[in-house]
Amino acid sequence: MPLLEVNNLTKRFGGLVANDRINIEIEEGEIVGLIGPNGAGKTTLFNCIAGFYTPDEGSVCFAGEEITGFPPERVCKRGIARTFQLVRVFKGMTVLDNVMVGAFSRIPDADGAREKALEVLEFVGELENKDLLAGGLTVAHKKRVEMARALATDPRLLMLDEAIAGLNPKETEEAVELIGEIRRKGITIFLVEHVMSVIMPISDRIIVLDYGKIIAEGLPQEIATNEKVIKAYLGERYRAAS
Amino acid sequence: MLSQLLISGFLMGLIFSLVAVGLTLIWGVVEIVNFAHGAFLMLGMYATYWLYRLLSIDPLFALPICTILLFFVGIVTYRLMIRRVLTAPMVAQIFSTFGLMVFLENMAHFLWSSDYRLIKEPLVHGRLEVFGLFISKPQLVAAAGAMVATGLVYWFVTRTQTGRALQATAEDKEAAALMGINSDRMFALAWGIGGACAGAAGVLLANFYFIFPKVGDIFNLTAFVVVALGGFGSIPGAFIAGIIIGLVQVLGGHLVAPAFKSVIVFIIYLVVVIARPQGLFGKF
Amino acid sequence: MTDTLRQRLIRQRLPWPAIVAGGLVGLFILAFPFLFTRPFPQHLMILIFLYGVLGQAWNLLGGYAGQVSFGHAIFFGIGAYTSTILLSRWNVNPWLGMLAGAAVAVLVSIIIGYPCFRLRGHYFAIATIAAGEIIRLIFVNWDWIGGARGLFVPMLDESLLNFQFHTTKAPYYYIALTLLVASILVTRWVERSRPGYYLMAIREDTDAARSVGVDATRYKLFAMIISAFFAALGGTLYAQYLLYIDPDSVLPLALSVRICLIPVLGGTGTLWGPLIGAAILIPMAEFTRVYLGGGGGGIHLAVYGALIMLIAVFEPGGIMSLVKRFRKRRT
Repeated sequence: MPLLEVNNLTKRFGGLVANDRINIEIEEGEIVGLIGPNGAGKTTLFNCIAGFYTPDEGSVCFAGEEITGFPPERVCKRGIARTFQLVRVFKGMTVLDNVMVGAFSRIPDADGAREKALEVLEFVGELENKDLLAGGLTVAHKKRVEMARALATDPRLLMLDEAIAGLNPKETEEAVELIGEIRRKGITIFLVEHVMSVIMPISDRIIVLDYGKIIAEGLPQEIATNEKVIKAYLGERYRAAS
Repeated sequence: MLSQLLISGFLMGLIFSLVAVGLTLIWGVVEIVNFAHGAFLMLGMYATYWLYRLLSIDPLFALPICTILLFFVGIVTYRLMIRRVLTAPMVAQIFSTFGLMVFLENMAHFLWSSDYRLIKEPLVHGRLEVFGLFISKPQLVAAAGAMVATGLVYWFVTRTQTGRALQATAEDKEAAALMGINSDRMFALAWGIGGACAGAAGVLLANFYFIFPKVGDIFNLTAFVVVALGGFGSIPGAFIAGIIIGLVQVLGGHLVAPAFKSVIVFIIYLVVVIARPQGLFGKF
Repeated sequence: MTDTLRQRLIRQRLPWPAIVAGGLVGLFILAFPFLFTRPFPQHLMILIFLYGVLGQAWNLLGGYAGQVSFGHAIFFGIGAYTSTILLSRWNVNPWLGMLAGAAVAVLVSIIIGYPCFRLRGHYFAIATIAAGEIIRLIFVNWDWIGGARGLFVPMLDESLLNFQFHTTKAPYYYIALTLLVASILVTRWVERSRPGYYLMAIREDTDAARSVGVDATRYKLFAMIISAFFAALGGTLYAQYLLYIDPDSVLPLALSVRICLIPVLGGTGTLWGPLIGAAILIPMAEFTRVYLGGGGGGIHLAVYGALIMLIAVFEPGGIMSLVKRFRKRRT
């Protein structure tokens, strides 16, 4: 049984079909990449799975149970955590407090949540910043804090919306390493990236979205040579390689 | 009796429209609610009153003067205050214009006392009789003026180069900036036009309405309702919703009890924002 | 956040002077009615405590959870009216009336909060104005509860049980102080436990908070309920203290504004902000009223307005953020 199962999911905005009959299965322990040109409907799909949008048709099942239309907080309790495309930390709170908010979803008392948060902060390598205000960090640090906040909820599935985009080469390397470590903890990862080159080496499998539809699915090397994919990316002025 | 009420509700509604157009424009472009909008209207009324009392300028001729005056009040408000809270937490934005309202109203109270004032003999006065219905001439002039002003704003926003730039800024700041539109100037302009709308409405009202420091409150609250009903940022929406609210007020006052006419209007606000947050119409 | 700051302060500074100073301030506050026996200073302190409670009530919802309410007079007024009506109609003891008032206020807060919490930011703030005005207009036109004329609280014998004192203000002082301490303790508890973290997360970014399991509506309601509860207790205290209430004194928009201004000045989302705000604003308002006579010609309210603007523009964190910055510079 797959961990996440998206069946025939459709989401429309007015006349625009942002997601058109999407079918996805993700097995426990996998790293699955979702790519596609700008406006292909990647973030919309994330929002439908995470409960921020209610799909117009179709269903989302997680660990064998239907979660379609659940509000985000319930989706989180089931074991799906996410980050946002434009990083969204709690700016006016410290790094530690940010992550504690995540930890509170499993641990009701403050001391326990603090302990858990410190543990996660150490794991992502942000422990030394724990007392700084999250709003004052650089984007790379914010992204890691956001990831720590999501990890503190003890997810089975972590959805990363452009966790790498906008980072410099060194930061990218660190982020890729971190994603690998998260997977080693047994957490399944579903990640969105706009730029193909960063997602290829870390994903077990890639799904390509264009105009709301899945146009290709397969191993990274298959995708890299898939003509439809190349066309979709070329059509958008960006080259597949960039 | 009923048609008499409907006429006066309709005429008042046109003024609500004009006040709301200014509010909705600022809201749509700058994404800040101007709690001081009613206070701008009050300033327009007092300016008209003092021009009349001290310089014997009739409200009709005061119209351009006060409109321009309030245009600059809007711009100054933006330049001195709003610009500094654009990226501030929303709470700070709310309190900045709310503080401005409290400040202006109470300064007016302090400077000009809380007395109710009235312009006693404006150029336009008396009433018309049409098919047995009485229509107050100042109210008719005010309603016509408000309609023209609303039309002008709409024309400006949809038909002129600058107006389109304003619209583009409202749609998407970053995209507008890429097209070379200076959003800072557009914001200032939105505040200027917003202030001018409130000012013009103030002048038109001053012809027949009591003038006192808190006169703006009720227009302010009504304008919020109109904006919500018409859809935040929509000028045609505000125009139609203003008339609807004007009619609802007189009808509600007539059918339920005069004391409850604002209660009905506020209930409409709550119902609209909770049940249909996008209002009855779209943006622009 | 303040947690670690405070711990650090306790650890780094010499604890003795701090404890002694705190103890002295505590003693001074407890002994105040004996040191200052004239009515005016006591009256001033009672008002500071009362507004401290109201400000703290607002702070839980507006400061921690970031839901700006311009309608808190609703709960204050409901507290005042409930106990007064129960007492004058059915001779219900004011203490019971106080609890009943709080219960009614909590109920009303749920009725208002549940639908309105779907609104965000400005829309919510305006909705609270609308709700406040609806309730005020209903009270003004409702003859059974005195309408615009208001209600006199029936005179009872002076005793703690009756919640009335005619020869001295000191008992009111201690009751107000108790309420204030209770409101601060509850806020402190909230601040340091899960609800407090959740409320701040909701304020900072509601969607992000929901994505990590925060049931935003539920926690906003939680804040609203505690907030309404304390505001209503303050309302009964006010009614029993002044023995006369009318819609203009316990329900106007201006009161709601004053209530939110206090934590805004002192520092929203901080434990001591509301008390600091009350300790500055209330004496200022009382003195301008005394010295500028009667209505004060609106000048003190104009100063209020200017203050709100200046704080919003230059120091959105209020006085507490000035204090924090000052501390940081010294350590």
